[in-house]
Amino acid sequence: MARIALRGLVKTFGRITAVAGVDLEIGDGEFVVLVGPSGCGKTTTLNMLSGLDTPTSGEVVIGDRVVNELEPGERDLGMVFQDLALFPHLTVFENIAFGLRVKRVPDAAVRARVREAAEAMRIAPLLDKKPAQCSGGEAQRVALARTIVTKPAVFLMDEPLSSLDAKLRVEMRTELKRLHRSLGATFVYVTHDQAEAMTMADRIVVMDRGRVQQVGPPLSVYSDPANRFVAGFFGVPAMNFVDGEVGTGGQFQAPGITLDLGGRGAVPGSRLALGVRPEHVRLADDGAGWPAAVSLLEPLGDGTLVFLDYGGPASVVAKVDAEEKVAVGDRRRFTFRPDRVVFFDGATGERALR
Amino acid sequence: MTVRRRLAPWGRHAALVAWAALVLFPIFWMISTSFKDAWEWVAWPPHWLPHEPTLHNYRQVFTFTELGRELSRSATDQVFNIWPALRDSVVICSLASLASLLLGTFLAYAVSRFGVGGKNFRYAILTIRMVPPIVIAIPILMYYAIMIPHTTTVLFGARLSLFDTSLGLGLLYTVTTLPFVIWMMLSFIDEVPYTLEHAARLMGAGRIYTIRRVVLPLVASGMVVTFLFIFILNWSEFLLALTLTHPNVTTLPVLLNKFQSAVEGRLYGPQAAIGTVITVPVVVLGILIQKHLVKGFSFGMIRR
Amino acid sequence: MADAHAPTRTAVVPAPARRPRRLAAWLAQERVFRLVPFVLVEGLFLLLLAIPFGLTVYISLLKWRASRPFEQAHFEGLGNYADVLADAEFWWALGRTFYFAAVAVSLELLIGFVLAMLVARTVRGTRVYTTVFLVPMMVVPVVVGYNFSMIYVDSGPLNQLLAPVAALLGVDPRIRWLSHPVAAQWAIILADVWQWTSLTFLIFLSGFAALPRPLVNAARVMGASPWQIFWRVQLPLLKPVIVIAVVIRSMEALKIFDQSVLLTFGGPGNSTQTVAFYLWRQVWQFNKFSFGAAASMLLLVIFAALIYAGIYLLVRQRSVALAEGRG
Repeated sequence: MARIALRGLVKTFGRITAVAGVDLEIGDGEFVVLVGPSGCGKTTTLNMLSGLDTPTSGEVVIGDRVVNELEPGERDLGMVFQDLALFPHLTVFENIAFGLRVKRVPDAAVRARVREAAEAMRIAPLLDKKPAQCSGGEAQRVALARTIVTKPAVFLMDEPLSSLDAKLRVEMRTELKRLHRSLGATFVYVTHDQAEAMTMADRIVVMDRGRVQQVGPPLSVYSDPANRFVAGFFGVPAMNFVDGEVGTGGQFQAPGITLDLGGRGAVPGSRLALGVRPEHVRLADDGAGWPAAVSLLEPLGDGTLVFLDYGGPASVVAKVDAEEKVAVGDRRRFTFRPDRVVFFDGATGERALR
Repeated sequence: MTVRRRLAPWGRHAALVAWAALVLFPIFWMISTSFKDAWEWVAWPPHWLPHEPTLHNYRQVFTFTELGRELSRSATDQVFNIWPALRDSVVICSLASLASLLLGTFLAYAVSRFGVGGKNFRYAILTIRMVPPIVIAIPILMYYAIMIPHTTTVLFGARLSLFDTSLGLGLLYTVTTLPFVIWMMLSFIDEVPYTLEHAARLMGAGRIYTIRRVVLPLVASGMVVTFLFIFILNWSEFLLALTLTHPNVTTLPVLLNKFQSAVEGRLYGPQAAIGTVITVPVVVLGILIQKHLVKGFSFGMIRR
Repeated sequence: MADAHAPTRTAVVPAPARRPRRLAAWLAQERVFRLVPFVLVEGLFLLLLAIPFGLTVYISLLKWRASRPFEQAHFEGLGNYADVLADAEFWWALGRTFYFAAVAVSLELLIGFVLAMLVARTVRGTRVYTTVFLVPMMVVPVVVGYNFSMIYVDSGPLNQLLAPVAALLGVDPRIRWLSHPVAAQWAIILADVWQWTSLTFLIFLSGFAALPRPLVNAARVMGASPWQIFWRVQLPLLKPVIVIAVVIRSMEALKIFDQSVLLTFGGPGNSTQTVAFYLWRQVWQFNKFSFGAAASMLLLVIFAALIYAGIYLLVRQRSVALAEGRG
């Protein structure tokens, strides 16, 4: 069973703390994505998992064994690097065969297994070529073939798609999901692209500044964020934030927007931030809502982004139907879908008033 | 097209050809002289091509026996035989260059992958090269000829001197070329991405295996270029050889110099022959590696 | 390890000969890889450079000539240094060395720059020209000295080429160039120029090749004339390269020795004695060991100052380049 557990992982480089304590359990066969901005510690965590970096403290458990003392080559992993790390002086065949040759697998078996992997990744015609002669997508698949040929229990991927152009990236995403389903192995995938995380993960691990911010399936991370950082990280265009405070009557107050908080137990005088996604902002035609002026329109094709100046420091962005008749300069009213509004503590950014 | 623009390329080529002629002329002259017999050496007006080409000079220089009796005034003068000098030059330069290459590459790997020596090591190491050789020649002379024999006599009772030995000169050549090896191999090793070694390690390869199968093949051509470069440097080296060797050990440049101080006139013919022998292999080697020299020399200062 | 895997995986053929390597072993090996080469190289430097250096300092404080054995030398203090500084010949040699270097390097920079510019513009034969122009750099300096002595000799080709001029002036064309102090000095300078213009050419050629085309194109679109483009776009961009060429060549030119020995042996008189040659003579011809040791220490100090200046310039160029987003 290739379950993975990371317990209390910490990594410091001199005075810099890259990973400040990560606890994570990954189930056998799961596709887990570590996502976060540059410098959040996701790659360092992956490197500790693979063994390329040694943890300052904490344990890495693969299967049921603590593997801290094991060489990367002993942990039964496959890894795809951001720059692919294909050996330029070897043919595609020899690249794929490298791991087998290290283990001194007999020649006949090597040929059979390389061929098998190459056919699975549809690169059999390239076996005699060198990596430099392959296109971006082909090289990707060579790197994948190289990992699957040793049939590891766990696949690690460090931003493998970031060097591809947009169209290829989408193709490879599907390819990877297909691979995951057919192999049934555990995938641990690192990326800074929130769209990749959303589309590919069984569970997402959001990281920032060396810590895990939230773990959960994509939809729950999207609609039930644990803090302001997670909320702002996912979704394009980003979630709208309105900073305000709780008024004496227990309602949310911000310049231009007042919202009744019902019985949620808000403490009067405390600072509160409101978050709502553009697709949950509605243009109200029935007199309810708050007044605003339309300052900018961005037609997307499948909808239109309407920038509303309501009196606060930033505009509220609403995503409305393409057919909606709006023009710059209009005075309209807007409301939020009440069940989709979330609140964050004004000081800590943590989710409040659940 | 204006007349000016039409003529410009011709003007350019004319200037370039003129300089090319200047560049090649001394070498041509030397080769030509090496085929001239004695009466043609200082003929006036000078003969650009030998009127009676001869291999006599080369024969003289390459003979195995003491030669030059007919030319030399001093009965014990064995100076004109090229073989000992050729042997000394080849042996010392090859071994010193090899030692420097191996040691330097080893260190360059450590600096590149582990940051040994600190951030500015590669620049610090070049400062050694900036010291004029004469300034270290004197200390080394005293060291080799006095301090070491003194110390070994005290410690072991045997007097060992490094003065005028192949080992002494070779060690010095190794040390003076190490900075170049480190500098050049650093740039070559830096070009090999460290992730290649990570990938190999993940597939179970040990460090030696990885270096052998992944790193070395990729820097092999760099090593060849570096070796040739320092070989040329050592081969041409004059000052240290002049001060620290002879007569037991004689390198080719020192041999050539002996002719300058020949007692009776200058023996231009054999000198030219030796000069040709010294120069031609080096020029050929240099042409081979010149492509790499051109690439490396802007020091990344304009645009990487 | 095999039992920890899911049963659906096919078994890998085991390789029994391999001992399992542990992370600790890898890290221990890494320590060896870090330390051993460093220790070896630094040890060599220490043994072969640092100790002799210390020895020389010691000797420079003694009064010792080869005529007396080492043991009899007595401590003298800084007397030798005073002697060196008082020796007019030392200062002459030093001044002359700077003079040679200045003239030679200026010529090399100029000619190398022009050559690189011309070659960068030619379409055909670039490779041939470059190869030919780089040849002098690879010729053993001793041989260069010898070649030029052949050319300058009174019945040499130089005089032959100048014969018409000599005839015009009514002078015997067979001039012994190397017997005239000024001509001998120029002989050394020209030998240096012949050989090392290759290097400046190389540096400038790389510089020209690395000039970013988009900048030149932008200037053309804005209506700049070729001359303006040269002065205002290309030359400033080449400044770092020029500085490098100046620093590198100057450092080397100050060390001229081989030609001094071969062409003229310091003569006629002392007119072509470079400081390296002067030093060599003190020790190897006159056997004034302590004097030579002191002189070489002084020379080291002078050169160290120059090296620092040079490094400072280079490093400043580099940081300027970095700040401007290049390199």
